[in-house]
Amino acid sequence: MSYQATNPLADEFELALDGPLTAYWLAFLRVVTGWWFFHAGVTKLIEDGLAFSYGPAYMQQMTGTALGPIPVWMGNNLAWLIAPGVPLFETLIGLALMVGALTRLAAFGGVIFMVLFWVGNAGFGHGLVNGDLMGLLLFATMMVVGAGRYYGLDAIVEKLAFVERHPKLRYILG
Amino acid sequence: MTDIIDKAAMALSGGLMLLGIVGLGIVEILAGPPYGAAPVTNDAGEIVATPMVDPTLRTGLVLAGLVVLGLYAAYKLATPVEEADTAKGAETMAD
Repeated sequence: MSYQATNPLADEFELALDGPLTAYWLAFLRVVTGWWFFHAGVTKLIEDGLAFSYGPAYMQQMTGTALGPIPVWMGNNLAWLIAPGVPLFETLIGLALMVGALTRLAAFGGVIFMVLFWVGNAGFGHGLVNGDLMGLLLFATMMVVGAGRYYGLDAIVEKLAFVERHPKLRYILG
Repeated sequence: MTDIIDKAAMALSGGLMLLGIVGLGIVEILAGPPYGAAPVTNDAGEIVATPMVDPTLRTGLVLAGLVVLGLYAAYKLATPVEEADTAKGAETMAD
């Protein structure tokens, strides 16, 4: 972490728990990113329950992508998991991010979703950098910075004795 | 004084944006279809249901939050930078 005694603004913007603007903004981004997925998931649950049949159908049409035959295979063979998994995991990922619990694990799930959306939607009319990629990068950023530590429950969870004894848990918390 | 303005700017901007995005989003879900911010149309393209909360209000709240951040930035630009306080600095580990 950088330390610049000569820069009077460093403390304010520094990427540390006491960097007020940084902490505020990362927490805000985390909640909005979480809401994005929570909204997507919970409205699917309301409308289709755990039978989101569009999920497997979406993957079955993902032919000729950089992911090769994987999505099509998943759509054909893992429909039993994808149909309930999409609304359920979107909701849980969103909830976890909003409260800042298991943030890195949840954000990793978000990355998986966004990889499939980015590649599957293939909305590349204005270049590869589109909204889907930005969403993917948002989730990746949540993991990189451990955004759950900023006004999130992971700040508390990481101080528990159990986590202190098993520090590798921080790889899924944070 | 500066500290109060810092906190006020963060609280007000964050509050406005989260109200527009999350707060009224929850209201929209609880109010029933459409759950998003766009009206529901039938096959003929006719609007059959409109959002309970006008999207103009929600986007306006988010924009207001961004305006607060912009005003805060202008304030920071207009006020002199505090002297470097080397005693305040601290070496911080990422993890």
